[in-house]
Amino acid sequence: MANDFSADVIVVGTGVIGCIVAEQALDAGLSVLMLEAGPRVERWQIVENFRNVPPQYKQNWNAPYPPKPWAPHIESELADATTDYLQLEGPNARAYRQGYVRYAGGATWHWAGICWRLHPDDMQMKTLYGVGRDWAFDYKTLDPYYNRAEYALGVCGPSEVELQWPPLPRSKPYPMGRLPFGQGEQRFTEAAARVGVTNLPAPQARNSGVSYDGRPPCCGNNNCFPVCPISAKYDAASALPRIESKGGRIRENAVVYRVETDEKQNIAAVHYFNPDKQSQRVVGRIFVIACNAIETPKLLLMSKDERNPNGVANRSDQVGRNLMDQPKISAQLLLSEPMWTGIGPVQGSSIIMTGQGDFRSKHAGALLRCENAALSAAGGQAALAKGLVGKALDTEIRRLSACTARLTIEHEILSDPNNRLTLSDKKDWLGLSKPNIYYDVGDYVRRSHRDYTLPLLKKLIAELGAVESTIATTFTNSDHMMGSCIMGTDPGNSVVDVDCRSHDHPNLFLPGGAAMTTGGCGNSTITMAALAMKASDSIVEQLRRG
Amino acid sequence: MTHLYRDDAPEEFSLTRRKLLVGSALVAGGVSLSPLDWAQSTGSAVQAGESKFMELSSLLINHHLDAEVGARMATAMMRINPTLIQDVDAILSIAKLRNARIVEEFYADVPAGHLKDTAYAIISAWYSGVIENSSNAEVFAFETALMYQPTRDVMTIPTYAISGPSGWTSEAPPMSDMPTF
Amino acid sequence: MHNIMRLIGIVICLAYASSNAFATDDIQEAVMRGAYMATASDCIACHTSAGGKPFAGGLPIASPVGTIYSSNITPSAAGIGRYTEDQFARALRAGIRADGANLYPAMPYTAYQLLTDADIHDLYMYFQHGVTAVDTVPEQTALPFPMNIRLSMKLWNLLFLGHTSKKADPTKSADWNRGRYLVDGAAHCSTCHTPRGFMMEELPGQYLGGAQVGPWFAPNITSDIDSGIGSWSKAELVTYLETGNLAGKAQAAGSMAEAIEHSFSHLTAQDISAIATYIKTVPPQHTASDHQSRFSYGKPYSALASLRGANPIRSDTDVEAGGAQLFDGNCASCHQARGQGSKDSYFPALFHNSATGLANHSNLIATILYGVNRTTPQGQVFMPGFGGKVNNVNVLNDEQIATLANYVIDQYGRGDTPVKSEDVAQIRAGGPTSPLLLLARMGIAIAAIVGVVCIAFLIVAWRRRAVNK
Repeated sequence: MANDFSADVIVVGTGVIGCIVAEQALDAGLSVLMLEAGPRVERWQIVENFRNVPPQYKQNWNAPYPPKPWAPHIESELADATTDYLQLEGPNARAYRQGYVRYAGGATWHWAGICWRLHPDDMQMKTLYGVGRDWAFDYKTLDPYYNRAEYALGVCGPSEVELQWPPLPRSKPYPMGRLPFGQGEQRFTEAAARVGVTNLPAPQARNSGVSYDGRPPCCGNNNCFPVCPISAKYDAASALPRIESKGGRIRENAVVYRVETDEKQNIAAVHYFNPDKQSQRVVGRIFVIACNAIETPKLLLMSKDERNPNGVANRSDQVGRNLMDQPKISAQLLLSEPMWTGIGPVQGSSIIMTGQGDFRSKHAGALLRCENAALSAAGGQAALAKGLVGKALDTEIRRLSACTARLTIEHEILSDPNNRLTLSDKKDWLGLSKPNIYYDVGDYVRRSHRDYTLPLLKKLIAELGAVESTIATTFTNSDHMMGSCIMGTDPGNSVVDVDCRSHDHPNLFLPGGAAMTTGGCGNSTITMAALAMKASDSIVEQLRRG
Repeated sequence: MTHLYRDDAPEEFSLTRRKLLVGSALVAGGVSLSPLDWAQSTGSAVQAGESKFMELSSLLINHHLDAEVGARMATAMMRINPTLIQDVDAILSIAKLRNARIVEEFYADVPAGHLKDTAYAIISAWYSGVIENSSNAEVFAFETALMYQPTRDVMTIPTYAISGPSGWTSEAPPMSDMPTF
Repeated sequence: MHNIMRLIGIVICLAYASSNAFATDDIQEAVMRGAYMATASDCIACHTSAGGKPFAGGLPIASPVGTIYSSNITPSAAGIGRYTEDQFARALRAGIRADGANLYPAMPYTAYQLLTDADIHDLYMYFQHGVTAVDTVPEQTALPFPMNIRLSMKLWNLLFLGHTSKKADPTKSADWNRGRYLVDGAAHCSTCHTPRGFMMEELPGQYLGGAQVGPWFAPNITSDIDSGIGSWSKAELVTYLETGNLAGKAQAAGSMAEAIEHSFSHLTAQDISAIATYIKTVPPQHTASDHQSRFSYGKPYSALASLRGANPIRSDTDVEAGGAQLFDGNCASCHQARGQGSKDSYFPALFHNSATGLANHSNLIATILYGVNRTTPQGQVFMPGFGGKVNNVNVLNDEQIATLANYVIDQYGRGDTPVKSEDVAQIRAGGPTSPLLLLARMGIAIAAIVGVVCIAFLIVAWRRRAVNK
């Protein structure tokens, strides 16, 4: 039973993964204590924070979430390198400047809500294409967990079979029907079709047309990132009251800094600091570290002890390695005809068929999408910069807002053990190591961009009728951290087993992005959530067996 | 020196590369000059200053403007531009010389340099809702920042519902429409 | 309407497949008519629990004297499967169960007593042949002593249950008479909208003048221009009954939302017109302190000119937020920055809105706490609650809701009496309680003491007489 410092299941991290595991455990009659490094806030405060952010900072998704000193994440402005939390190096350091939120509720506060599943072929990269790794199970095994995850989050998607992805018959319908397109997405869909690719409505964790779990349906507030003001988009913060009503206990401002093993290599306890830098010890029967692919390996490495000199759960030396994301290339266009983005949610569709093909033996697949965030502020500031006044200013604002489009390419990446997180010598406010990350997207991605995605992007740009375009030459982050506690059947080269259980410690689970064997080109969250469902079943079964 | 970036965009889109908002002569990363002690002015002087600021604002921006927002803006602008009151007077005289009722009738006559920068700064402030480029700039207006108004018939101001559930379509009104504001 | 008829047809066929009764056209038509009357009487709203099977009972109904659970009225032995038509009629009209026990007037038999024999027959046919039997016995009502003594209802009925059947008024149109029959009978409007006296009887002199119903307030719907709905046209009343939404005036929530969803939105246009015709003629009840209608208060307003950007960007929410701040953060995203509502009026304006314009603030508080959830053929209307239910995502405490409500009524509604956090706590607990329970107990205690004293006196007197002899 739970008291202040013990429970059956100790969950570190109150993001979507931690909340799924916590709720599954509570529903099975287990006691749960959740530890969250950061604060717990009310939604209205975040909404007001966002409104109070100056316009040129409004697209820094972390800006409404000022970090607490004891739970740093990237700041909304970069003062100088020495106060950076993420110590980034390597040819593509910029592409791992990941935005996540160390607040109760985690990064789903500001995620896009997009729920692309893996394609079955994404799970067999080695067998099919001779690159990367194969997952330890197939898509069919993961399918029922995908269904449960979609119903837990409340995912809406198209009922028309020809609009569904992956292109397989679904074993269960989407919980809700799809959301309509605004004009921008409609135009992009038509342009894509003329170029020979299909822009599909995205499955998304957004209530569509009806309430779900007591949350209202999407009303086009167009602010999914950085925060949905009405929680029509699922975010883990909305799960917290329900978890508490089921008897789960949540302790915020508790920074776990050490995972303690015993002589049998079970996890005996975790230790956390409170904001007064006092240490507390928490015991349990099962421990779940659900802090995604940067904070989880960081914690494991910091926990090294005599029995585990390379870090907890790290006999394979893979903890922190194989970091993946979807290296991103952005483009901004000015069209001759109005596009009118900003109607409906900020993302609602993607071209994802471009992630599949025989070319994957040579270069990466990728997803392409047209962003749907309102560009009125961008248009406004751009028009002002031209020094216009009066009616000319208003007309130009309207024109630039309507005629600007932003396109994005997100490439898949191969797991490379050199893309790794280690502990930096630099310390944070609590005296804990900051994460040091080396990242190189690799030639597999660079070839893809040179030979495949950039030409396709240019075709789309031309088809949309762009009169100006700027295409980034730097890869940036997609915030889809994966791979750093990689799943596999061989304890020699993987960190967790098929249930996200550490190979080295039978009562330690590491579900989420870190466990993903490959990333594909689609947003990672729903796959992470499916893994959390699978891990939960295993946790419940393990405790039932005693 | 603050370094502005978007989380998901590379340096190319960094907004420091764009000549933004307030004229460059006025702001350099939010450095404050020795402020005029606004509070020491007499009540009536403050009011006269504010009403002149509103008068000029209405000439420079031919839309409905909120006087309370204007007062806040003027106070903050005084701190960055100690000659604001004199600038306002000077630009007003130019407008009066032309019998101008709208900005197009006198803006070209405002001499380039400090006065033009001031006029432009006032227009920028009303449209963007801020008067400076820093990350902790006071946001005087968001919902009423004018840059959101020309597209208000189609786009929502972010965080505000556009309609009831799923209440939007892929139809959009013609570009030639301009909402009144 | 069409869909319901089709559905009933299917249900009837299935019922026939499982029962031995042979279908005759008469029974089929009676069942269909009965289904319609059951919709008009809104039986389903009370006799179905959340997530439960239709008519299987178990819904907890908050009353000022305790919780009353609705009964199973499906044709099962656990329900009314063994009821004869006479017993069924007696339950509906006199409030007496088949076993002779009295029903509490949460069951509006005081209204259903007006139902004609023909309608009662059709209802009986529907409940015996058109409803799927459910064999579970729901939770039983156990009111605190002495209310659990159902016998006391016999006295109450003697006092307050009229036995007059309202014959049609020949001076009025057929429409009007039909309207009165529905309003006073099946739709039982007066059981919510008429204030009750100390013994919880409806006060006929204040017919439809407005009354508290748990956490909600069923407002004055008489023809008074300022206190009632005299300012509405008949067409507006029809719109409201059909959809629950009259833009710029009123939106149904709480029990009225249920009534719209399950009952009014499914009635024929003719019957809605009849109800509207009758309601427009209800004698005005005027409250002296009402100087304008509850639909006429307020105008667009926003505090953002001073509030926007005034507070720093914070990672703490334990700050004392004022009403304007709470409004901006929690309400404005849907109701818009100046409270003007969305362009398609899905989100209503907060001014010119009866929820904010009533002197009684229960509906505003209850809406903030419990939200709105109302589905009609046009779709679902949904507002989340802010802490009234355990799983609400955004939770405001009593103090915050009082602060927010005061801001809303000051800027958009009728602000003469402020909202206190105790008011919010009371609504959160289910609404005002009645002193009836306490006084009944006190009364019984006093009567018992008096009784004991009298007996003691008599014994003493008798003994003295015996001694003196």
